[in-house]
Amino acid sequence: MGRLIARRLVFMIFMLVGLMAIVFAISNIAPGDPARLAAGPDATNEMVEKIRQERGLDKPIVTRFVVYLGNLTQGNFGVSLHTKRDVASDLARYFPATLELVLYAIGFAVLVGVPLGMLGAVFQNKWPDHWIRFVAVSGVALPMFWLGLMLQWYLSLELDLFPLGGRLGIMTPRPETITGLLTVDSLLTGDIRAFREAVWHLVLPSLALSLPALASIIRVNRAEMLETLNKDYILNARAQGIGAFRIVTAYALKNAILPTLAMIGLRFGWMLGGTVLVESVFDFPGVGLYATKAAVSSDFDPIVAVTLVLGACFMVVNLIIDLLYALLDPRVRSQI
Amino acid sequence: MKVSRRIATTLFAGAALMAGSFMALPSQQALAAEQVDDKLYMVIAGRQPVSHLDPALKYDLAVRMMQQQLYDALVKYEGNPSEIKPWLAESWTTSEDGLTWTFTLAKNAKFHDGSPVNADAVIYSFKRTMAINEGPAWMLEGFVEADNIKALDEHTVEFKLNKPYAAFLSFLPWWYVLNPDVVEANTKDGDMGKGYLLENAAGSGPYTLERFEQGTAYVLKRNDDYWKGFPYDNDRMGGVIYRLMRESAAQRAALLKGEADIVTGLSVEERQAVEKREEIQTTSLPALTSFGLKMNTTKGITADVNIRKALAYAYDYDSFLQIMNGEAKLQTSPFTDAVKGMVPVGSMPTRDIEKAKEYLAKTDHPDGGFEIDYVYVEGFELERQMGLSMIDAFKDINVTVNMIPQTWPNMVALGSKPDTSPDLLAIFTTPVSTDPDAIAIQYHPSSHGKYYASHFLDDPDLNKMIEDARAETDWEKRVPIYAEIQQKIVDLQPEIFGMMRNRGMAHRTWVKGYEDSPIRMGGEIDFYPVHLDPNS
Repeated sequence: MGRLIARRLVFMIFMLVGLMAIVFAISNIAPGDPARLAAGPDATNEMVEKIRQERGLDKPIVTRFVVYLGNLTQGNFGVSLHTKRDVASDLARYFPATLELVLYAIGFAVLVGVPLGMLGAVFQNKWPDHWIRFVAVSGVALPMFWLGLMLQWYLSLELDLFPLGGRLGIMTPRPETITGLLTVDSLLTGDIRAFREAVWHLVLPSLALSLPALASIIRVNRAEMLETLNKDYILNARAQGIGAFRIVTAYALKNAILPTLAMIGLRFGWMLGGTVLVESVFDFPGVGLYATKAAVSSDFDPIVAVTLVLGACFMVVNLIIDLLYALLDPRVRSQI
Repeated sequence: MKVSRRIATTLFAGAALMAGSFMALPSQQALAAEQVDDKLYMVIAGRQPVSHLDPALKYDLAVRMMQQQLYDALVKYEGNPSEIKPWLAESWTTSEDGLTWTFTLAKNAKFHDGSPVNADAVIYSFKRTMAINEGPAWMLEGFVEADNIKALDEHTVEFKLNKPYAAFLSFLPWWYVLNPDVVEANTKDGDMGKGYLLENAAGSGPYTLERFEQGTAYVLKRNDDYWKGFPYDNDRMGGVIYRLMRESAAQRAALLKGEADIVTGLSVEERQAVEKREEIQTTSLPALTSFGLKMNTTKGITADVNIRKALAYAYDYDSFLQIMNGEAKLQTSPFTDAVKGMVPVGSMPTRDIEKAKEYLAKTDHPDGGFEIDYVYVEGFELERQMGLSMIDAFKDINVTVNMIPQTWPNMVALGSKPDTSPDLLAIFTTPVSTDPDAIAIQYHPSSHGKYYASHFLDDPDLNKMIEDARAETDWEKRVPIYAEIQQKIVDLQPEIFGMMRNRGMAHRTWVKGYEDSPIRMGGEIDFYPVHLDPNS
């Protein structure tokens, strides 16, 4: 197991360098003049050239890549042309917000999706199954952006249950930053008011973000459960008089959960990269909005850095999923 | 498969528990504004994040809006029409040759830390901006050298210009004065305080910075000891929160719900929908911003002035008004209405197919039959619709339009070189001054490379007129020159002159003192005169 993790981590480094090279090349080859954009609409040509030189944008792309790699090894992600700050400090500010949102969304999707998938299989073609399939199809079909707006309109504006957006009430004192995850930091500092507010602000965005994942999890888990429940060992278990609840939750779920786990890993990655729409509707100050702003201003350093961080997260999550696979499935375990 | 009810019961109980826990969360309270210790904080919802606060760096509407509250300049734009009012400088004189400007500072002006705003602080601030050479530095470049700004005494500053510059005063509202002690105390590695001033302020303005939460909200506290006082009497006014709300629908919801007192980013349709409500007031004002279709005058088919004229006469100008739901006004001169010295130009093209064909007959393409590229911002519906109406309009002179959506960075890059500048480029332009030079200079070679000069116009007669007009300090003498310049620009037709789009805003009726000024950009508000009166 230790060797597997070490091997995968080494692979990850190579993959990240490859990813970086590709993103660096694409964003730098794309037409556009970042120095001119950074200088502002009325800047003179000399001012534009000054910024171009300061940022090394006048150098060939290979030189810039080597310099970037060198900086990266010292933990320097560069400076954003737009916010004028270190990209690393910008990331430290925005990434935890996105991570928190995605963790809550994926948590919700798993906690609700897996049981609903099981229920669907157990009640196959009966009314609970019809409703569950309705949820699953809607989840895939509804655009996240539209869903977010509708949730906001109904639950926030009409019923007044949730705030329109943001991470905390504007005048609510902020808990001390420890992890950057507001719900965690507020608990660590014992600030219950901030915790309640942070959770309250997370409900609608994480609900909107989780629905597509929820739908996929339901569908995969339902299909796998159906197949598993028809297997001989389940029949055997029933013949032995084991209770139905135990059969479904302990015997069937353990086998049916494997493809669902893979789906969770994939969905987590997609969510990380796809929060921008939800962040935009709910004005959630996350890395998605930051990256979009960078992309529309040809601000290379943040684009590359965000891609790297999200790429690394995706890889780590998939590594964890693979390890869970090994933990749950002895056949996989025996191969490593 | 038959299953025990236990599974269903357990799972449904879980779901009910989860739903119940949501309901137990605190319920939303609708407030007029945020209240802190009986003080009211006005909430303004806008779209644009405040990327930084440093007066020496690149500005946009959000940056400018915040700086206007935190800092003071020698003079300030106020009112409609926008006029320059004395601010830190209570008076000024100009020498007869227009080269020496002497400003007398208000003696009671003080920074937020209580220290006086004196001549040294003014000089320090100008020199800092010039040394950093970004942001507003271009405004005085070539006209004022740092060494030629001198303190005559504690409260008198003298600027000696290299050559007369009529627009000099009109740019000074954007040169904010910083507290040198605060900047110096926070300078690291010779960065002139750049790192500190990104998210901190060192000014003397009517508001102080309470919190800068990037990407979410920026909280300003009213400076109750503001040296100039406030134009209203309302002690409950505690501050302003500029809250980011990117979606028009969310802004509308926030306004209706009372979560925002002013919203700046409503679409025309949303604004027209809310203005019927009693508790909401809306404003709509043609701004200084113009929208035009810039034509490349040096390369390609539009290099021929007769082709440019033909296109300008074939264009369907009413489509601007239709697309904008009537919230716009057509330009009657290259200068927008709020620019000083603007006079309507009689020969400004309107749709006239016969005339368009007459001009076309003078070209190598008397029957049309050519294609032109129209480049616009990808995803910008307004500009896409203009392209569609252009396709229809130009059919009448047998010209085909290629609609080419591009990202804004690409458009800026394309428009910066004559070889790549497209036939037609859709551009909104907002000058930073109401002085006619701010518009005229856009048609001078010194602007080439900037996105609004993608026409690359270079006409020796026009160039001379522009240079003469900016060197003339007597306004009465400048007026006729600018009338001629406007006529000349129309004759050269470097663009299809478009419209002045109205910029609108909506606020709750308890917001008092709001005053729009054309010099402000769409979504930019001067907080100084605005306050909340919830009892009204």
